[in-house]
Amino acid sequence: MSEGPIVALERVGKRFSTGVEALAGIDLAVAPGSFLSLLGPSGCGKSTLLRIIAGLAPPSAGSVRYGESGLARHLGFVFQEPTLMPWASVWENVYLPLRLAGERRERVAPRIAETLAALGLAGFERAYPRQLSGGMRMRVSIARALVTEPRLLLLDEPFAALDEFTRFRLNEDLLRLWQRHHWTVVFVTHSIFESVFLSSRIVVLTPRPGRILADLPVELPYPRDGALRTTPAYVEQCRRLSALLSEAMA
Amino acid sequence: MNDRIARIAAPLAVGVLFLIGWETLVRLERLPPYVLPGPLLVAETLWRDGPSLLGSLLVTLRITLAALAAAILVGGALAILFAQSRLLEISLFPYAVILQVTPIVAIAPLIIIWLRDQVFLSLLVCAWIVAFFPIVANTTLGLNSADRNLVDLFRLYGASRWQTLRHLRLPSALPYFLAGVRISGGLALIGAVVAEFVAGTGGADTGLASRILEAGYRLQMARLFAALLLLAATGIAIFAALSFIARLLIGHWHESALPREE
Ligand SMILES: Nc1ncnc2c1ncn2[C@@H]1O[C@H](COP(=O)(O)OP(=O)(O)OP(=O)(O)O)[C@@H](O)[C@H]1O
Ligand SMILES: [Mg+2]
Repeated sequence: MSEGPIVALERVGKRFSTGVEALAGIDLAVAPGSFLSLLGPSGCGKSTLLRIIAGLAPPSAGSVRYGESGLARHLGFVFQEPTLMPWASVWENVYLPLRLAGERRERVAPRIAETLAALGLAGFERAYPRQLSGGMRMRVSIARALVTEPRLLLLDEPFAALDEFTRFRLNEDLLRLWQRHHWTVVFVTHSIFESVFLSSRIVVLTPRPGRILADLPVELPYPRDGALRTTPAYVEQCRRLSALLSEAMA
Repeated sequence: MNDRIARIAAPLAVGVLFLIGWETLVRLERLPPYVLPGPLLVAETLWRDGPSLLGSLLVTLRITLAALAAAILVGGALAILFAQSRLLEISLFPYAVILQVTPIVAIAPLIIIWLRDQVFLSLLVCAWIVAFFPIVANTTLGLNSADRNLVDLFRLYGASRWQTLRHLRLPSALPYFLAGVRISGGLALIGAVVAEFVAGTGGADTGLASRILEAGYRLQMARLFAALLLLAATGIAIFAALSFIARLLIGHWHESALPREE
């Protein structure tokens, strides 16, 4: 593994044709294997930043460099909404990225089965998205992103629409999978608790135009699990982060 | 369950009441059959002339189905073409609109003159002009309505144009397309009948429209009503058949076709 960042943004800015300036002067280097959370108020440009990292939108200023050649082919993206194809079964939805890459069904069937099992979806292969709960749809969406074994996984507030129970469960599942595979993750969230629980590093953005307000390591050792939420160290981290936020937003 | 009974029983009751009222009116007022035949007389005529009317219906039906098939093929192909290039869409779409808004009775004589030796083809073209627009318009809308995030996802995974069309745009457009087809089915029938009206009576195998005209000239109102009844039944059958096909194709996933399960 190279020591350099897997993706590096230099002075990235984004101004839309409408004149809205969403981002300004973002310098960000993402270390391989890290779990980075982007935290910021609504409308500060988090989604825009993630889309720029994924190459789905060009920055209007600055540059994005990938640390590995061909990284663009090894990205996973999870949207705020599950964004599944309603006409396709769970299996077909998860097969989609592999199908687009020209993989044959028989060849990747074991991999798909494994991914579905890892996300607790075994037995639901033939279900259609409308037959699933919101949490399960999100699991399918994550399975679809993971099935290609991405080197960089981008998640845009994937759990924002879910209830607390489901969110906790999915947080723990995501953490468990990440601790096992150690892909690099960039995770957008509104939630202080979620970001402290999951990440190794938290980057806080200012209101629009989004700039980097703070860049903090999370000093809690891995492996973590659900029990972490009740430890004083975790509570203390959350408290410090929220104090910093309210100070900054004031 | 109660709802389902009501769904059938309520309109049926209205229909029966209407027919009773109609028959009563005809008898009380002693209306002659060439002004307004009673429903019983219409039923009797239908029974008597049924076989011969059915032959004419078949002629009309053939034109209708051929026009619908042509509308599906050409309309679908045009929509896919439009989805490939915005320039093509904005260049051609206005002409599709012009064809749609021009009254068919005004252009039917031209078409019939131009294709004078091919009666079937000329009627087919007229019915097609009436029927194809909803399919083009709906399918074009559907092809452009694919979920934005899914479009992004396809781009992220390096999908080719063809893959995006095949796996994303076409399935997204299917419900729109089917809604268009359902409208076009009825329009194809109307188009076929109107074209036959314009083409007039005569010829060896005449469609139902000619029979209606003929019955009108001869003041055989009961037969006219019987033919109308057949036409209406055909329209309903086409609509029901197309709805059934739509359900088969998208029933397992699309909101419009889902049973409401509480
Ligand atoms: N395609 C676009 N065209 C014009 N303006 C846009 C576009 N996309 C986003 N914006 C604007 O850019 C700003 C940042 O949007 P973005 O979606 O990145 O915010 P966000 O931080 O993800 O917000 P949220 O937390 O609510 O999802 C907003 O003011 C939005 O109106
Ligand atoms: Mg967002």
